[in-house]
Amino acid sequence: MDLHEEDSVAANVAEWTATNEEYTDAQAERAWAHPGILWGVFGIPEREIGALPGSVDGLDVVELGCGTAYFGAWLARRGARVTGVDPTPAQLATARRLMQKTRLEFPLVEAPAESVPLPDASFDLAVSEYGASLWADPYRWVPEAARLLRPGGLLVFLTNSTLVYLTAPDSVEEMVGDELLRDQFGMYRIRWDGATGIEYHLPHGAWIALLRGHGFEIEALHEPQPGASAENPGYYDFVDLDWARRWPAEEIWVARRRA
Amino acid sequence: MSSADERIAANVAQWTRTNRDHTDAAAAVAWQRARLLWGVFNIPDRWVGDPADLDVVELGCGTAYESAWFARNGARPVAVDPTPAQLETARRLQGETGIEFELVEAAAEDVPLPDASFDLAISEYGASLWADPERWLAEAARLLRPGGRLLFLTMSTLAHLCTPDEDETPIANRLLRSQYQPWETHWEGYAGAEFHLPHGDWIRLLRANGFRVDALEELRAPDDARTHEYYFVVPAEWARRWPGEDLWICTKKTP
Repeated sequence: MDLHEEDSVAANVAEWTATNEEYTDAQAERAWAHPGILWGVFGIPEREIGALPGSVDGLDVVELGCGTAYFGAWLARRGARVTGVDPTPAQLATARRLMQKTRLEFPLVEAPAESVPLPDASFDLAVSEYGASLWADPYRWVPEAARLLRPGGLLVFLTNSTLVYLTAPDSVEEMVGDELLRDQFGMYRIRWDGATGIEYHLPHGAWIALLRGHGFEIEALHEPQPGASAENPGYYDFVDLDWARRWPAEEIWVARRRA
Repeated sequence: MSSADERIAANVAQWTRTNRDHTDAAAAVAWQRARLLWGVFNIPDRWVGDPADLDVVELGCGTAYESAWFARNGARPVAVDPTPAQLETARRLQGETGIEFELVEAAAEDVPLPDASFDLAISEYGASLWADPERWLAEAARLLRPGGRLLFLTMSTLAHLCTPDEDETPIANRLLRSQYQPWETHWEGYAGAEFHLPHGDWIRLLRANGFRVDALEELRAPDDARTHEYYFVVPAEWARRWPGEDLWICTKKTP
């Protein structure tokens, strides 16, 4: 089947069912218990970046592509009313197990971020950390985020940098290098060799156009560098510290829905 | 002399040489352009809209060929540049073409023009690359009326990361320098300085100066574009695969 016609939701549910069995289920308890808010594969602390509002207490938050919902759990512990949305039943089952264990409970909705069965204008903050931001079609999930947010609401999402997309070898087994291996013009959907799922990558100009087109004002693009205490990723080892200290491996967009 | 004054003086010296070697001779053709073109691959403008009756300031105008287009099309441009030799070329072209507008000899870091007096500020490989962004963006914000727009083109962040240290060497299909380094860039054998910012830093500075970011156009060289004979560092083949130039489009927010 042509990559552009294939249903990426089904492919990504298959990918994340396997990844959950292999890694995220066993990792979830540790992730849920972490006292901080961390971003990305290097676990860069939110206090070093400042992408989120200073306080999330009392905010209605939707996490788009929550996986095992550890990010939502961190926000819920800080007083946010979180709803986690993910299309992969296995990851939601892990999230439910952790809820029972920790007694930290919030609603989970089984749905892709491209089509979320939740009402318009019902959230103050939409977040996605390697969730919808990488695995859902941006031309479908960004409009959903705009619909779900109240006027003045904030969208904050982390995904791979464009530089990672350009320098990653075709095989999922290999790490990024310094050579530009594929064109930037035309970047959008990709399935790496050896992967089941389909990822979505947009260049900065396209993110800005898409966000602006759906009523968002661009507040920030954070291109964080791992700090001195960061360690090399264990499981998500497409990049290491040497690379990420020279170029951003990840980027965090902050955009506000116009009032 | 402050280090900023020395940097500006070094850039003026460099552009005096470049004007002698290239831009003076190229000015007559550039002034005749029927369309507004952006960057080394002459990409036709799709972003300015109707220029009629706009008060336009060009920051780092060089020989002022963009301002000439605005003047020919009903706008009132004022062209600002710190290099006397380039302004002299612009004055010569004004005499030859009869297209007249104000030329101001000043660095974009410190422009002797009144607050809130322009509808549009533009910079095409001018202040956008050669002036201190902390200072020229503040000046652009000061010069614009609320709701006024800023359009500027510079070398893309990606092209800068792929630029070798060696002079006169085309960029590579490879990341050669870290993105986490000072914006101010000095090249071997050249006393002046360029400023190269990652996109996140541009967004932060633009917002800090009261701009809304409307668009980032990551420009692709047209299929029929050829590598520029003088500005050959970014070859056309490279710029068809990756953006060699970034065009930022912003609006000064209404208080």
